Amino acid sequence: MSFAVEADGLVKVFGNIRALDGLSFNIKSGEIFGIIGPNGAGKTTALRIIATLILPTSGSATVFGRSVTADASEVRRLITYLPEEAGAYKNLSGIEYLKFMGKFNVKIKGKLEEVIEDAGDISGLGERLHDKVKTYSKGMKRRLLVARALMTKPKLAILDEPTSGLDVLHSVHVRKIIKNYVEKHGVTVLLSSHNMLEVEFLCGRVALINRGKMVAEGSPENLKLESKAANLEEVFAKVVGFV
Amino acid sequence: MFRDLRNIVSKELKELLRDPKILIGMIVVPLVMFPIIGLVIRGSMESTQQRLQRLEVGLLNFDKGSIAEDLTEFLSTYIIVKAINASSVEEAGEIMQSETNATDLIVIPSGFSENVSVEAEAFIDVYSIFSGTGGFAETASSSAVAGYLEYYKRQRAPDPFQTVSKSIIKGKPTDVPPSMLFTIMYSQVFALPVTISVLLIFSMQIAATSVASEKEEKTLETLLSLPISRFTILSGKLIGSIIVAAVGAVAIIVGLNYYMGSFMLMGDIVGSVDLAAVGLAPTLVGYLVLGASVFMALLSALALAIIISAFADDVRGAQSIVGYLYTVIMLPMLVIMFADFNSLPLAAKIVLLAIPYTHPMLAAQASLTGDYLTAILGVGYLILFTIALLYIAAKLFSTEKILTVKLKLRGLRLRRKTRSPREV
Repeated sequence: MSFAVEADGLVKVFGNIRALDGLSFNIKSGEIFGIIGPNGAGKTTALRIIATLILPTSGSATVFGRSVTADASEVRRLITYLPEEAGAYKNLSGIEYLKFMGKFNVKIKGKLEEVIEDAGDISGLGERLHDKVKTYSKGMKRRLLVARALMTKPKLAILDEPTSGLDVLHSVHVRKIIKNYVEKHGVTVLLSSHNMLEVEFLCGRVALINRGKMVAEGSPENLKLESKAANLEEVFAKVVGFV
Repeated sequence: MFRDLRNIVSKELKELLRDPKILIGMIVVPLVMFPIIGLVIRGSMESTQQRLQRLEVGLLNFDKGSIAEDLTEFLSTYIIVKAINASSVEEAGEIMQSETNATDLIVIPSGFSENVSVEAEAFIDVYSIFSGTGGFAETASSSAVAGYLEYYKRQRAPDPFQTVSKSIIKGKPTDVPPSMLFTIMYSQVFALPVTISVLLIFSMQIAATSVASEKEEKTLETLLSLPISRFTILSGKLIGSIIVAAVGAVAIIVGLNYYMGSFMLMGDIVGSVDLAAVGLAPTLVGYLVLGASVFMALLSALALAIIISAFADDVRGAQSIVGYLYTVIMLPMLVIMFADFNSLPLAAKIVLLAIPYTHPMLAAQASLTGDYLTAILGVGYLILFTIALLYIAAKLFSTEKILTVKLKLRGLRLRRKTRSPREV
């Protein structure tokens, strides 16, 4: 069976720091796969490698059969990436930003308007899309960025902490957006989070990582069952020997 | 309240002074920059002094009378007087340019001694010779010659003759007084290097900001993950910077011309001098060479700013780092403005020629003097330098280094932090 993403023995070393230490995982097409772990576990590094932004020191990864190192430009046509602390160009309006980004993926004339309309629905920003990004609240900016990542219906959306810095209500809104959009359009999602509740709500399967290594993998239900834990936080604490 | 304020000020001072970028930018650069400016000005003054000590003038004597002989003898006690054998001022101008280092030509007309003896009107023409390369130093010799003639006249009072100041430009005599030409030269010697420097500095600021703001606003990672080549991103940044810089440059040139125009006290008189006719306006070739040189310098400066700013993580940091480069732009500008490049020691010339940003300044000078060979070689050097920088910038953008330089620094800090508890 061919996977949407196949990561095999990923190692990434920054100076004396081993950010990833032999991480392997596979993602099926159309599923939401979550990488979870504490700060500094290597989640962002793994996502950056899949997003072709950095090279693994060793190991390999493919996205729909294309190598993230050898076929990086082809991989970039299949993905969108939402970094954890992403920003938008503050002097552009929301709509200008979406058009700027959309033009790189949408090459068919007339299709861009459709995509931007979709983005407007995803973000729920309404008329505020015509205002400059610098006037947006943090929540509005994140919704704009999530809309940007999903609007072109990429084959793989890589979302690093998609609800990072959002309050409860905004987080709920963004999670619903992701879940509905994926179900409707069959987009594969790779996301990272340190919010275990978020992952339980969104992901069909998760990989728990700690210090760059995989410590457990499976569906949230199975992991909880196997560890006899009430939630994923407890699973994580048990598998790393914290309790 | 005072206690809180003191606490905040103390924190601010620690934060600022512990930031190496600010430490170097605010303290080290001025400490280096001002001595360099001092050295350049001192060198220029010394070179002018030396020029005056071995001041050489040509003498075209059509008179041969006793007073003309007396004047020649008088001048010879102070300066080197070279007799020129020529039948006309035009011929003398050509001889002066090719065979002597003289800065001025004194022409004593036929009948001069007789006119002085009978107290009739008598004139001496003093031509200042312009090469266009001497900067401010060039003006000193003509003032010195005028001074010696005035001294002689005072000794033979009452006012035996009048001196008429004229100029020889590129070997061609003209009736334009040197004072007027100096005013024009000042504006060109001053305006071109300053305009080029401002353009380069302005462009570097824009390019550095363009990359650093992507990092500061956290948009760079998203941009790099898009299905576009990294070279397109780099080119887009370069072109955007060039456009904004060009708009800025036009504003600077307009502003500067207006500013310089206000110094043209002679107004209409200067306006009546046809600079092209006297050879002090750039030719088409001059403009093309200057344009090519400035464009290549601009492109290399932008690439350099982009490379350097990639190492900063915010706009302020990038501008501070790029600020260090201003020295290599200001230094050639000051030298071209205040000193005669050709009379500099060989080592200084080599150092200056090695600095790419000297070449547009020299091209600006060449556009007036017609020495295109040096300027064209300079353009060649700038092209090589620019290609090398663009290659480095493209490499930087095509690899993860554009993102990981800061990661490495974070890593080092993290390592230090994790070590410290064990050390305690």
